[in-house]
Amino acid sequence: MNEFHVIVIGGGGTGAAVIHDLTQRGLRATLLERGELTSGTTGRHHGLLHSGARYAVKDQESAVECIEENLILRKIAPEALELNEGLFVAITEEDEAYAEAFLAGCETCHIPTRVLTPKQALELEPNLNPNLRLAVQIPDGTIDAWRLPLHFFATAKHRGADIRPFNEVVGLLQEAGTVSGVRVLDHRTSKEYDLKGDLVVNATGAWAEKITAMARADVPIRPSPGVMVAVRGRFHNMVINRLHPSGDGDIIVPQRNLSVIGTTSWVVDDPDKLGLPEDHIQLMFKNGAEMVPSIRNAPFRAAWSAARPLIGSKGADEGRELSRTFKCFDHKERDNVEGLVTISGGKATTLRGMAETTVDVVCRKLGLDIPCRTKEEVLLPYRAYYD
Amino acid sequence: MAENLIRFKIFRYKPGTIDPPRYDIFELSVGPRTTVLDALDEIRVDQDRTLMFRHSCHHASCGTCGFKINGREGLGCVTNVLELGTEEVVVEPLDGLSRVVDLVVDMADFFRDYSPDWTYLQDSEWHPQAATPEGVDHYVRFESCIECGACVSACPVTAAGSFYVGPAVLAAINREIGKNDGRPGSLLDLAGSERGVWQCHSAFECSAVCPSDVDPAGHIMALRRQLIRQKVRSLFGMK
Repeated sequence: MNEFHVIVIGGGGTGAAVIHDLTQRGLRATLLERGELTSGTTGRHHGLLHSGARYAVKDQESAVECIEENLILRKIAPEALELNEGLFVAITEEDEAYAEAFLAGCETCHIPTRVLTPKQALELEPNLNPNLRLAVQIPDGTIDAWRLPLHFFATAKHRGADIRPFNEVVGLLQEAGTVSGVRVLDHRTSKEYDLKGDLVVNATGAWAEKITAMARADVPIRPSPGVMVAVRGRFHNMVINRLHPSGDGDIIVPQRNLSVIGTTSWVVDDPDKLGLPEDHIQLMFKNGAEMVPSIRNAPFRAAWSAARPLIGSKGADEGRELSRTFKCFDHKERDNVEGLVTISGGKATTLRGMAETTVDVVCRKLGLDIPCRTKEEVLLPYRAYYD
Repeated sequence: MAENLIRFKIFRYKPGTIDPPRYDIFELSVGPRTTVLDALDEIRVDQDRTLMFRHSCHHASCGTCGFKINGREGLGCVTNVLELGTEEVVVEPLDGLSRVVDLVVDMADFFRDYSPDWTYLQDSEWHPQAATPEGVDHYVRFESCIECGACVSACPVTAAGSFYVGPAVLAAINREIGKNDGRPGSLLDLAGSERGVWQCHSAFECSAVCPSDVDPAGHIMALRRQLIRQKVRSLFGMK
């Protein structure tokens, strides 16, 4: 154990993987989250373990990240995943015409595919639209959006990480242009306190700008919400995607006794105020039913919005055009503010890779040369968080 | 669409600060889709940022937003405010678990008797006749139990402060036996102990409030039958 103390702001999937990586490399780490763990974007994602195939045509950097991390998560957190594979289904002639580019993209990104005839696809999933023209099997899966991060938190906690939910960062401590710690409001007692650290990692995702603004630094994050709808029952066991360029309502993720239909995409300024457009909810039923007709009359369970933390400049208006890749910003290089790094962008599937990149930056800045080992270690079960 | 002004009466507790606990009143316009969890989040963002509650998935999959809503256990994320039909909505923390802050309870209490060996995956019962794709032996899915604590809170025996392990743990034990092809092994030890199934008063409140159709009471009755069978067998010298 070395002397350094790293403060992580944000208790979502990224913060979970970052504090796990920090403690595994022997650093002392404290994580602060303003509410319950994963109460921002992480818990609300549709639960897809991405094969990367969705991005294989137009966003290949993300696609490669997804397939690499998909294979790693299968090894390190098997209890947090339903490993039932996925299908991309072509319903129209236009969908079918997209298959060539799709298969080529998957091959470039090393995403394994298996082309199925309509008959073969219907044998696997009898509730698919019987008029489908073609299906492609890819290694998608389902994530438990709450329990996967909890595996990381549990493992970090057992290594001595100090994880503090209900502790909100209300300011950054600065000495001569260097961030030296954080000012925290402990919501359990209503008392404020200062916490000193050698480095602060901003892992607040769609909320990243709220933290960087405290240091007069900037980060190009666009909160981009999407609407999801959950219905009762499972109509298939594999993840069903529409074989076409990314669009609204083109995925149905089965998880436990529910099916989650997603999603839409727009851009907002305040990640705390997303709204829930009624027409988006109706669109999920309509577009979902084109792939799996039973969705149209499936019993409604819930509808909600979640804010993706996409990397992009202020000009973006829809979010679809923004890459799903991730990036770690060193604010020394960006804004001449020392002691603060921001990790953002990315997907739930790539949380471990995001952490590796971030902690590599942390170690470099602290003058440490410690390799990342999170690809190999099987995580503790999520219930161990409560030991 | 029509907006409706609802009074939310919310349990507040901050150890050493709001102590003893009190109730705060907030007024909020709600729409036809507004859930109790949406309302709490809006109150936190616009009226009182110090209001603390657990939440994560917003679709009854994680189990973090269990509350007592108008005195009855439920998940905030799937409880529609207007469908409650009351002008005032009372939100309180679950019973039977230690209080942390405001509506937050300590889930370490809930997990105390869970074994790390119990898995969270089961075989999927949907479309058992369907073929499975290359790379998949059999379809799996997560447990229906989302470990929200509603059953523990509603149980009159846990509420009376007994050392009963409670309905969630017993249901988990019986599901685990099911995954083990019905062979109980040592799984029945805790269920049959003085902290186990014989503490249950058969009030069936656990199954009534379960938001995920787990039917803990049914599992408890199944465990009792297995324990009686085991007892009878041992009386007659059988294994």
